[in-house]
Amino acid sequence: MRKKLSEMDYGEEGVVKSIEENLRDKVAGMGIRVGKKIKMATKQPIKGPVVVTVDQYSISLGLGIADKIIVEVEE
Amino acid sequence: MKILLMGHPNVGKSAVFNRLTGAKVTESNYPGTTVDYTKGYMRLEGKDVEIIDVPGTFSLEPKDKAEEVAVKMLKENKDAVVICVIDSVKLERGLYLALEIIEEGYPVVIALNMWDVAEDKNIWIDVEKLEDILGVPVVPTIAVSGKGIKELVSRIKEASPIDIEKIVEKAGGVEQ
Repeated sequence: MRKKLSEMDYGEEGVVKSIEENLRDKVAGMGIRVGKKIKMATKQPIKGPVVVTVDQYSISLGLGIADKIIVEVEE
Repeated sequence: MKILLMGHPNVGKSAVFNRLTGAKVTESNYPGTTVDYTKGYMRLEGKDVEIIDVPGTFSLEPKDKAEEVAVKMLKENKDAVVICVIDSVKLERGLYLALEIIEEGYPVVIALNMWDVAEDKNIWIDVEKLEDILGVPVVPTIAVSGKGIKELVSRIKEASPIDIEKIVEKAGGVEQ
């Protein structure tokens, strides 16, 4: 099933399927690219940032960015 | 010749700088500690060589003041050798910046810093294979203890500009 990265549940794992074009370079510098395994670690309330785990480190992303990354998750 | 120390924020650039120059640059655990830059000198094959501790940057497309300084310094020192410091735990994203610098035509040496932390996390990096693919010297380091720093210095002379197409070819092409 595909969903926005921002819609992932705590602890849910997925694979990045697509990233909005104008964001690709920006998140590439943070280690996120299509094909990368990603795990939701924390979501901050009130439209706060999300923290995801990639490889073995954490990255926090603004909700606006997390909305524009599509991931494939297991049902 | 000048040497630029570049890398992401918080990978230990200043720790490497201190090891190379014997200086005592303040380091702390706050991200983006080095917003301005620090200059120093190190001995390299009997000569004093200027070395600059460049503020941390994620890429060569600046997104804040510190990154602007970093990119500007790189562009202003076309004859520099770049020591790219990478957090071994965050190898992939570190390589993104290293490749951008290589693509700009700079001779690069890669320091895989915090090697001990990666080991603790059971991350093992095939240094030889990485060197073979990139064509640049790759040296595991632990800057806080000084491990690998001597080798890093001794291999600066091996750095030379590499054609990015060659790296792409060796890596087996680019995923579309």
